[in-house]
Amino acid sequence: MIPLWLIPLFPIIGTIALTTIALSSSGSKQGPAEGVTGAVAVFFPLLSFVSVLVLSLGMPLEGIRQTLGTWISLPAFQVDIGFLFDGLSRIMLLFVTGITTLIAFYSIGYMRGDKSFARYFAYINLFLFSMIILVLSDSLPLTFLGWEGVGLCSYLLIGFWHADAKNSKAGNKAFIVNRVGDVGFLFGMLCLISIGGSALLSYDYLNAWLLNPVSAEMIGTAMPLLSLAGILFFFGCTGKSAQIPLLTWLPDAMAGPTPVSALIHAATMVTSGVYLLARLSNLLVLIPIVLNVILFVGLLTAFWAAIAGLFQNDIKKVLAYSTISQLGFMFMAAGVAAFDVSIFHVFTHSFFKAALFLGAGAVIHSLTGEQDMRRMGGLIKKMPWTSLVMIFGFLAIIGFPGFAGFWSKDLILEKLYVSGPMGPFLYGGALLTAVITAVYMGRLIIMTFFGKYRGSAEKEAHIHEAPATMLIPMLVLSIGSAFAGFLWAGLIPGAEIFREMLAPVVGAAQAHASSAHAAVHLSPWVFAALGTLAALLGMFIAWKLFMRPMPEAKGDGEPEGFRASWTFAFDTLHKWIAVIPTKAMAWFLDVVINNIILAAQWLTMGIIEILGDGVRSLQVRKVGLQMALSLFGMTLVIALVVIYGGLL
Amino acid sequence: MLLHLLVLAPFAVALLMVATSGFDSKSTSRIAILFGAIFTALSIRLITVGYAATSPIEWFTLPGTSTTLYYSLISQGINVWMVFLSTTVSLIALIAARESFGNNYKNFAIGIFALLGAMNGTFLASDAVLFFFFFEAMVVPAAILIAAYGGKDRKAAAMNFAIYTLAGSAPMAIALWYLLSVGTGSSAGHLFMAYQGVSAPIQTLLFVSFALAFLVKTPLFPFHGWQAQAYAEAPAPLSAVLAGAMSKAGVYGFFFWVLPIFGSDSSMMNLMMWIGLFTAVYGALMALRATDAKKLLAFSSMGHLGLAIAAIFSLSPTMIPAVLVLLVAHGLSSSSQFILTGVAERFAESRELKKMGGLAARNPVFGFLFGFACIAALAVPGTAGFIGEFLILLSLWQVGPVPAILAGLCLILSAVYMLRFIQAVIFGKADKVETRPCHKISPFDAAAVGVLLLLLVVFGVRPALIMDSLNGATQDEVVADMEDSEDVF
Repeated sequence: MIPLWLIPLFPIIGTIALTTIALSSSGSKQGPAEGVTGAVAVFFPLLSFVSVLVLSLGMPLEGIRQTLGTWISLPAFQVDIGFLFDGLSRIMLLFVTGITTLIAFYSIGYMRGDKSFARYFAYINLFLFSMIILVLSDSLPLTFLGWEGVGLCSYLLIGFWHADAKNSKAGNKAFIVNRVGDVGFLFGMLCLISIGGSALLSYDYLNAWLLNPVSAEMIGTAMPLLSLAGILFFFGCTGKSAQIPLLTWLPDAMAGPTPVSALIHAATMVTSGVYLLARLSNLLVLIPIVLNVILFVGLLTAFWAAIAGLFQNDIKKVLAYSTISQLGFMFMAAGVAAFDVSIFHVFTHSFFKAALFLGAGAVIHSLTGEQDMRRMGGLIKKMPWTSLVMIFGFLAIIGFPGFAGFWSKDLILEKLYVSGPMGPFLYGGALLTAVITAVYMGRLIIMTFFGKYRGSAEKEAHIHEAPATMLIPMLVLSIGSAFAGFLWAGLIPGAEIFREMLAPVVGAAQAHASSAHAAVHLSPWVFAALGTLAALLGMFIAWKLFMRPMPEAKGDGEPEGFRASWTFAFDTLHKWIAVIPTKAMAWFLDVVINNIILAAQWLTMGIIEILGDGVRSLQVRKVGLQMALSLFGMTLVIALVVIYGGLL
Repeated sequence: MLLHLLVLAPFAVALLMVATSGFDSKSTSRIAILFGAIFTALSIRLITVGYAATSPIEWFTLPGTSTTLYYSLISQGINVWMVFLSTTVSLIALIAARESFGNNYKNFAIGIFALLGAMNGTFLASDAVLFFFFFEAMVVPAAILIAAYGGKDRKAAAMNFAIYTLAGSAPMAIALWYLLSVGTGSSAGHLFMAYQGVSAPIQTLLFVSFALAFLVKTPLFPFHGWQAQAYAEAPAPLSAVLAGAMSKAGVYGFFFWVLPIFGSDSSMMNLMMWIGLFTAVYGALMALRATDAKKLLAFSSMGHLGLAIAAIFSLSPTMIPAVLVLLVAHGLSSSSQFILTGVAERFAESRELKKMGGLAARNPVFGFLFGFACIAALAVPGTAGFIGEFLILLSLWQVGPVPAILAGLCLILSAVYMLRFIQAVIFGKADKVETRPCHKISPFDAAAVGVLLLLLVVFGVRPALIMDSLNGATQDEVVADMEDSEDVF
């Protein structure tokens, strides 16, 4: 069996190689040779994918563990650098490395001619490295390394075209909002350390401790701190996975190159929150109150973002809000302790959302940078393959029967009804959100591919089908969008390989959680039928509302009026509770306090100067007096020390 | 021998530099860099040696006391790393200064070597008066260098710096004298016993006198008035030394002298922790508003050292490695940031953030180094800063949630001002500096800074390289060790 560290090793070699290429070619006008650079950029993620594949095939049921060495070693705090390859990290790694390889390949076409070609791929490889560490780590601190690492890469790639201040501001926002969540993660770790020392930070040890009947009493007494830890970890997840309240950065993150939006801000990084919840499943099922928080936050986020998705004209913004909404669905699943289902939706979503984003990227590329859907339309004739990919992704995301999203979303809805508190209510909310999903996605497809072309004539002349390097990854992903769901097709008996693969990791937690609920028995066909109806209804509404001639586009496409208030509700909230108080505080310290200190300083210095002047004038005229004065001072000090000191 | 070399040889080299040519700055710089490299090598050797002490040489008997003072040096887990910082950062400063000073290089090098000797003396002295002697001696070369090589307000900055720090440590001189007169020796252990013998109000007075010297030197709120101005006006290589190495003298003073002597006064310890925390938040918020690149770095430095002070006075068991790693990380990252900001200042011909920008596009190698240094400064995991700040968070968490939350707030704020800094200096349109000839960072400078940044990653992945120096030794053992060594002789 090959060692686990090969998986992260390849992308870090790729990062170093590409950074070297980027820096050494920075002096030349043309930049590096794109052929070689592109080959390096795809080769190392591919090697990583192959190693994951090899390891996956030979993995024993309980997983593979490897410790490379100690990271931090103190008497009171001990963390190892160790890897854990089990059912959960296997699935995550397979699609993370696979999709990164595909998107790196796609990027060769997309980024052609960019001056910073090599730098782009250096970041992509660094991202893959961080993401692998996040998923493969066997302890929370090492996961945190990946956690902040992916955030850093996200920052670097959002602000990739840094000549435009708007892009680097979007990058800053992403990093800072994520940092807020990350501090939650750190404090979650601190809570666990307070409960049982740093050993609890290791997943294996944590699970063993939680499942051991002997520790039940200790868990009981530590319950408040344990719940706090759960909430704090979840807070960290809301940052990375763009949930209420830390979701504002993701729509802005669309400033980055589109393949980045597909890879980081749709398929992989933003799902790491869902991954962490699944990793901590044994902890979370013990604290139902936290699960309920996760559930309601997920529902609210999914609904809010779906509505916001309706209001956007920018094709990438629609997809961004749709990602937030879908992540909300995953959190809902985690909130009813259906962790395997949430990971299944992560899996299917990564295919169809990546396909949608790459399709959108092909459209934007072909329209030389146009992102406003009001200036698109009728593209199906000129870009048939891209439209096909997008339509596959569309059918998957709305849950059209047979497509990937149908199976995973259907399972989420079913679990909500069966095991959630107030099941029918949650089910209704989620189903309504599913209808809205079909409406805004239908709007996107109709505005982009159907009707008449509404953009400028010069851009129309340029419209072309995507080149093969871009089309091949898109087609692979669209095949995934169509068929990935059959790994766990609830309606087909026996088709649940996915669930079985995750069972060793999350099975115990889910068994614990489901024993708390009275089982509700309803035929899965009922849920499937209702889910299908929701998709069809949404499509019908979209067709009725948007399949008509559009008014001419005015303005920059940003939402206005009540649409803006809805879309930017959380930005406004952040502004009032975080940004303005911080600025006010900084102003107060800088303008008031600092000036008081400076004034005191000038005053003291002034007095010293005046005294000094006086002494100096003394010095010039009466040397004797000056001498006497300083002698007197010295004697005074000595006398004081002698009188109050040891010699008395 | 090693200890003597590290403290005395820099002064000898400074004298030697007087003899070098003032007109051929190239050969002068070669000699200076060679000696700088030798001192760095010696300091690395010292790290591998770890514990060492020189046999005390009788110095003089303080008038009015019966205490004999010794010239005696000691190295242990913490100060070997402080010496490493002072030698490394001085070397980097000597390298980076070649670009800036031309024929004035010689005098700059003299100043740096004198400062290096004083810093090493401060970190290695085991005798309180010897410590104080070197502690005061640091001010002279630093102030002269600021006054001679600084920006347009250099005279005022140097004056402020000198008067502020000298006035701040004057009470300590008297307090130290007093303690020596009631005590029997001049090591931290002896001073502790002397301190135990005096009445409570005097104890407080003594504590305040000692603390004031270090409060000013570190600096901590509200005694930071000199800092931003001095760091900003000093030439960038000197700012690197001030922030990267000399500022550690204050923290080290708290750790090595205040804590062993006054550690039993828990209310004062608690007060110091809160001052540290407030300074951390204050520094971060001031950095947020800074419009001058070097003042931003000065406040950032103040914030980080505030955290270190807070951790020291949390008195948690994890505090020593936490502070040690944070100080090393901060020394490396702040000095490389100052050097790089100096380069940016040359490119943009201004320290104003508004007038900088676009350097990543104009000079990608510089952009890479600058971005790397800033990212390392905001404590991303995988760099040494993270280990330090995480352990500090852990230390403060053991005191209570509020100190830890304040430290967590600093983590967020540091991201805010650092990213703003990156954006202002290297991102944006390149047109602000377009009209000027395209500068390149010299390969030698780039390599020197690159090594510092690489060290940050190495220590971030294997912090044991630093923490192993502690080798399970606690502060008490260090003190006990010192007493033993003096009893023997």
